[in-house]
Amino acid sequence: MLKINNLSAKIDNKSILQDFKLEINPGEVHAIMGPNGSGKSTLSNILSGKKGYDVTGEVLFENNDLFSLETEERAHKGIFLAFQYPLEIPGVNTNVFLKTSLNAIKKARGEKELDAIQFLKLVKEKAKELKFDEEKLGRQLNVGFSGGEKKKNEILQMSILNPKLSILDETDSGLDIDALKTVADGVNALRKKNNSFLIITHYQRLLEYIKPDFVHVLMSGKIIKSGGPELALELEKKGYENIN
Amino acid sequence: MEKQLKIDFEKKLKDFSYSDQEKKFKETNFKEFLKQGFPNRKLENWKFSDLNQIIKSNIGDLTFYNDYKKENQIDKIELINELEHNKIIIVDGKIEKIDFKFEDKDKIEVLVEQGEETIKENINSLINLNNAFSNKFCKIIIKKNYSLNKPLVVYHSTNKNTQSKNTNSRIDFKLEENACLRLIDIFKDNSEKNFLNIYYNFELDKSSILKNYKIDKATNNNVKYSYNNVNQEANSISETFILSSGSKFFKNEINCDLLGHHSSAFVNGIFDLDDENHHEIKSNINHLVENTKSYQLVKSVLEKKSKAVYQGKIFVSSEAQKTDGYQLSNAILLSENSEFNAKPELEIYADDVKCSHGSSSGSLDENSIFYLMSRGLNYKEAKKLLINGFLLDVIEKITDEEIKNLIKNLLGVKE
Repeated sequence: MLKINNLSAKIDNKSILQDFKLEINPGEVHAIMGPNGSGKSTLSNILSGKKGYDVTGEVLFENNDLFSLETEERAHKGIFLAFQYPLEIPGVNTNVFLKTSLNAIKKARGEKELDAIQFLKLVKEKAKELKFDEEKLGRQLNVGFSGGEKKKNEILQMSILNPKLSILDETDSGLDIDALKTVADGVNALRKKNNSFLIITHYQRLLEYIKPDFVHVLMSGKIIKSGGPELALELEKKGYENIN
Repeated sequence: MEKQLKIDFEKKLKDFSYSDQEKKFKETNFKEFLKQGFPNRKLENWKFSDLNQIIKSNIGDLTFYNDYKKENQIDKIELINELEHNKIIIVDGKIEKIDFKFEDKDKIEVLVEQGEETIKENINSLINLNNAFSNKFCKIIIKKNYSLNKPLVVYHSTNKNTQSKNTNSRIDFKLEENACLRLIDIFKDNSEKNFLNIYYNFELDKSSILKNYKIDKATNNNVKYSYNNVNQEANSISETFILSSGSKFFKNEINCDLLGHHSSAFVNGIFDLDDENHHEIKSNINHLVENTKSYQLVKSVLEKKSKAVYQGKIFVSSEAQKTDGYQLSNAILLSENSEFNAKPELEIYADDVKCSHGSSSGSLDENSIFYLMSRGLNYKEAKKLLINGFLLDVIEKITDEEIKNLIKNLLGVKE
């Protein structure tokens, strides 16, 4: 599904990722763990199309050259990024935004767009599953939401858009245990044969609830070690400094 | 210009038989305009919008005479069909039609004659120009306790062949105690390169409510100036909303004198400008007695080489304790060449007041754009959604639901 070959990225001549390699197959859950400044967020930004990076190397998503696609085209093809810091968008109603987004993607795929009633039914169902306060859907997007609510909103968007590849950028940070479980339930509900996940995190806490197939350790822009779920536990014990 | 002015003014005086008093009134105003000419940047009020220069570069030489005996065609003017309304149709400064078909006829008095004109002295030379050249005196009186069933829409239109002309129109309104008027101004420009000069005078008696919505949306090449003078007695409310967008140049000036206790004035506006359009809102809110309130919010979205100016003044006299005055302006500059000028002014002589002002301008937030695009919206859609969101809180200030929806539709704001 996703193939990253020799990806290097720089901002203002400062090297952030170096010869980064990763392959994710349909249905797999990969976790990338790394300390602050190791390049985790840069990786998720580059995959979803944020501007401002000088990149070399190759990223293929279902055999499409990702770098030839605009941000919204990547979303149309099924890439979703749950933001580490979801933005507050004043004056934009959350429901209106969700519907606009879903229908933009459906339209690009040549699928039938949802009308207001179909959409509300879908969003209500998903909000209930995620224990997301329905009243918030009538409010301005993320404005006045708590940190946890913002993160839950990201997962709600993910479950409505039903992407093929979901990238979760430190979704667990700032969540209490209950919210963490709800978020994990949301992710697990989407785990299917064809849906893949790339989970970026500092801690193995989230991985207790979302069991990854592979764990990679990212240090200074490079994957220095890969393994199964047990690697996360080893990291937790030893710390990043003493891994290898 | 002076020669043309004199010829046109002589012609105008010959058209009607004015009483000596009327003639004197017109002549005094004419002389004052001759002396001052069009306002230019040497005047503080006009330092961001040099009207003299703007007329020169966009129109060139103006003529001032309009044949008010001629009947103008009005059946081709496109009317609003989203909402039922009373109407006044003005063509080239002449009131062609006054129609209060939705109202109780006893509750509205319309005076159209060469009546006695009273005027605040020396507002500016454009008011002098208006007084010298405008047609008949027209005053609309809304009787005590009467609320109009439907809004009144004033259509400001120009004839197709009208060019390089100055047209002047004036309407006076009196809202008696506890009366209520919703007034919408719509501009229907059938011609270009004219200078429209509009003057409204409002007297708001106790507990009356005026809501004035000025909608300049359709793109046109005319230059416009509009002056609202609002005198407010106790407990009266004036709400002015300006959608400033379509004209080449438009300056809206609002003067509110809060003369009675617990009277309040609201001035809100949107500049939605493109190309080289240059618009201004200038407000003077004069708090003259205790316990009065004013609120102003102006938002701008500026494309290309457009320019918006907001000069908001709050004056608080020494008697006006417990004044509550507020003004805020925010602008989004969508191009390096667009320009927003804000000049907030607070002039306060009382010591127990609550007054504040603020202004900000910046570009569209790229991170927000990225967030929306990562959800499948293209750049244009993301930008539109953010701009609509930015404008929403000022649109929400419109207290009339029907008119709010009309304006939302005009701006393409969806919910």
